[in-house]
Amino acid sequence: MTPRMVNAATISGKPRQVAGSSSSLSRSRVDFATLGRAPMRLGIGTRRITSRDLQIVEASEELLEAEIPEPEGVAQDVSLIRGFNATIPSADKGRSRRRQTRNVDAPRMGLKKLGMSARGLMVDEEEHEGESVASEEDVVMVGRPEPRGRNLRPKKKGRQSLSAGKVIGTDELKRQTHEIKRDKENLHVRKSLIEGEIKEISHKIQTLDNLRAKLQEDLLKLQEDELELDDELEGVKERLDIEESRSRPPKARTQQPHVAQSSRRRKGPAFLPSEHDELPPGVAFMSLTGHNGPITALDFSEPYGTLVTASQEEFAPKVWDLLSGEEIGRLKGHRSTVKCIQVEDHVCLTGGEDGSVRLWDLRRVDEDEDWDKESEIVSLSEIAEEEEVDEFGGRTKAKTNGSIRQGESEAGSVSEKEGPCVRVLEGHSKAVTALYFEDDCLVTGASDKTMRQWDLTTGQCVMTMDILWAISHPPTAGPGLFPGAAAAAGTFAVPTPPYADGTWDMYQDFVGAVQFWGYALMSGSGDGAVRMWDMRTGQPHRTLFGHTGPVTSLQFDELHAVTGSLDKSIRIWDLRTGGIFETLKYDHAVTGLQFDTRKVVAAAGENGLKVYNRTSMQHSTLITNGHTRPVQKLRYMDKYMVSGGRDSIVKVWAL
Amino acid sequence: MPSELPYAADAEESLSFDELQVLRLQYEKEISQSHVTVQTTFNYAWGLVKSPMKDHQVEGVRLLGELYRNEPTRRRECLYYLGLGHYKLGNYEQARRFNNLLLDKEPTNLQAQSLASLIDKKVTQEGYIGMAIAGGAAALGTLVLAAIIRRAHK
Repeated sequence: MTPRMVNAATISGKPRQVAGSSSSLSRSRVDFATLGRAPMRLGIGTRRITSRDLQIVEASEELLEAEIPEPEGVAQDVSLIRGFNATIPSADKGRSRRRQTRNVDAPRMGLKKLGMSARGLMVDEEEHEGESVASEEDVVMVGRPEPRGRNLRPKKKGRQSLSAGKVIGTDELKRQTHEIKRDKENLHVRKSLIEGEIKEISHKIQTLDNLRAKLQEDLLKLQEDELELDDELEGVKERLDIEESRSRPPKARTQQPHVAQSSRRRKGPAFLPSEHDELPPGVAFMSLTGHNGPITALDFSEPYGTLVTASQEEFAPKVWDLLSGEEIGRLKGHRSTVKCIQVEDHVCLTGGEDGSVRLWDLRRVDEDEDWDKESEIVSLSEIAEEEEVDEFGGRTKAKTNGSIRQGESEAGSVSEKEGPCVRVLEGHSKAVTALYFEDDCLVTGASDKTMRQWDLTTGQCVMTMDILWAISHPPTAGPGLFPGAAAAAGTFAVPTPPYADGTWDMYQDFVGAVQFWGYALMSGSGDGAVRMWDMRTGQPHRTLFGHTGPVTSLQFDELHAVTGSLDKSIRIWDLRTGGIFETLKYDHAVTGLQFDTRKVVAAAGENGLKVYNRTSMQHSTLITNGHTRPVQKLRYMDKYMVSGGRDSIVKVWAL
Repeated sequence: MPSELPYAADAEESLSFDELQVLRLQYEKEISQSHVTVQTTFNYAWGLVKSPMKDHQVEGVRLLGELYRNEPTRRRECLYYLGLGHYKLGNYEQARRFNNLLLDKEPTNLQAQSLASLIDKKVTQEGYIGMAIAGGAAALGTLVLAAIIRRAHK
């Protein structure tokens, strides 16, 4: 007895623990009830309490705490038990049973054999008569008015239809109608269940799709960052070379690394004051006013350095200090509008409508106190700058760009130049509309449809490349250019499509843009063709067709060339194949552009600057505190951009 | 809206082994596809609960509990099934709690009311048995005590 009591006590103890503090039951009943359960647990049920049991009991504690919202949607329409009854296998039994009632007693035809042999399967065994029936109770005996003997009668009276002889019975038929109705309801239930599932899954797919789109965006962002890092690496390597060579004493000429990278090709990040990072991106934080007419050209030496801008109305480009935003001087000398400018450190080259190209030393702008003084124009033949040759090799200083300036500060005897203008290069007969120089080599393009290569140390024109000749003698037969090309023989003048403010010009610059690297020169001209020249021979070896309007701006790097034209498009060319990589369409003519591995910034006839992100293929516009009339020209270095527009204002942006 | 629920007697009728097998296979197939529908889980759980074997019932109740946890819209119905399941297992305490939650929401639900009365009946039944045991134990105890005292007296 004692062990039983002890057992009863322990068992009653355990359920009591588990039940916890009950709400509605009195304690005595609990005790007795649990005690009453003891015999069941001990004797009758041989099953031990498993972990599962405890699990569910513990879980139920948690479940009881959970909230119970109102049922809605599928839960409201189809209760669980209905779904159960609709989907369990026995739900289909009715249908098979009904089919059996329609079984007609027909002479054995061996249909199965026929069917199997038609499928190409072997029929091994003889079948036994009669199909199997699910359960006895479902077999319904149908009355057979005809005795079996009918089959023995040899004389055929003509076949009656199979169903004629069958009588099923009204009770059975009523039962069948009920069954069919129920089956239909079941089907309806199953349909709604499946529809609910489909909706749920669609919702899940939607969420996953959204997630995927987000991840793809993030991936693109990372790719862009990678490109930026690549550029930075190149910049850092260059810097390393420069600093290394600086630490080494200057040795023989042959060992010098190529320290002077044109600012146009330099890829790495620029040196910016730390405050620049605090600027909000995409905002024009400085405006330089002072010009009277639309800006025609601009360039700067470095961010927060020296800026040179030229406008339509004034023939002397203005020189600005970007740190203070003040004008520090003017470059007087040109007799007409300046159409193109390039600045490298303190060397500035300008090409004007008067057909001359002037070389300026920007350090001497401050010296020129008296702005009214006329600077003398010295023609080419008078120049004999032999003394500059010894400076030619002196490239040990960082950021030097040839020895032109050194020669000037020392010389003084022959070159009687006053003010900042160092040299004048004459030769073109019409307006010089595009120029590009690197170290000592300068290439200019003019409206006389020629391009000239100059040596900046001597000031001599080394080569003249005739575009007109190239047009009429194409190296390979190319596709026809746009109709304006036919007029190339005469004076070239094409009306530009209207800008965003409705104005338009007569575009007369036959050579819109030039750039070279080593011996490879690329030019964009008024016939819409982009030509690649070999500067050693002076012959074009390849022409890229595609633009349907004059090319106004051009830039290339090792992989791609980007050209903008009056046909409202920018084309990105693959230099290896010569094919068009991408075409960007705009609403107005493109007058200026610059690109790097990650973006293309374009002046496309609107007040805002259009930026195209090359990795994410997204367009955006820079308009905050921007121009009030269409932008004409732009130039950027790393995160610092300068743009000039038809509103005569020059704006400085933080990118 | 009142829930459609089966009476407790329905839980006493079990499915045939084949039918249960079909439900189990359906459930396992959906698990392998890692998309288990509510209906399949319920079908299988309900089939298990109806079965006479304790192990099945426990498993069924566990599945119903999972269903309860995962599908908030189905919770009200599940309250009833969980109550029924615990009732079959003999956990009257739990059964009563689940059922009472349901009755709070739907006081007029016939099935819930009938389940409540069934649970009460069973509990009182066990109470009587318990009282009988206690009484018997007390009686035996007094007898033993009497025997000891008599012996001590002697």
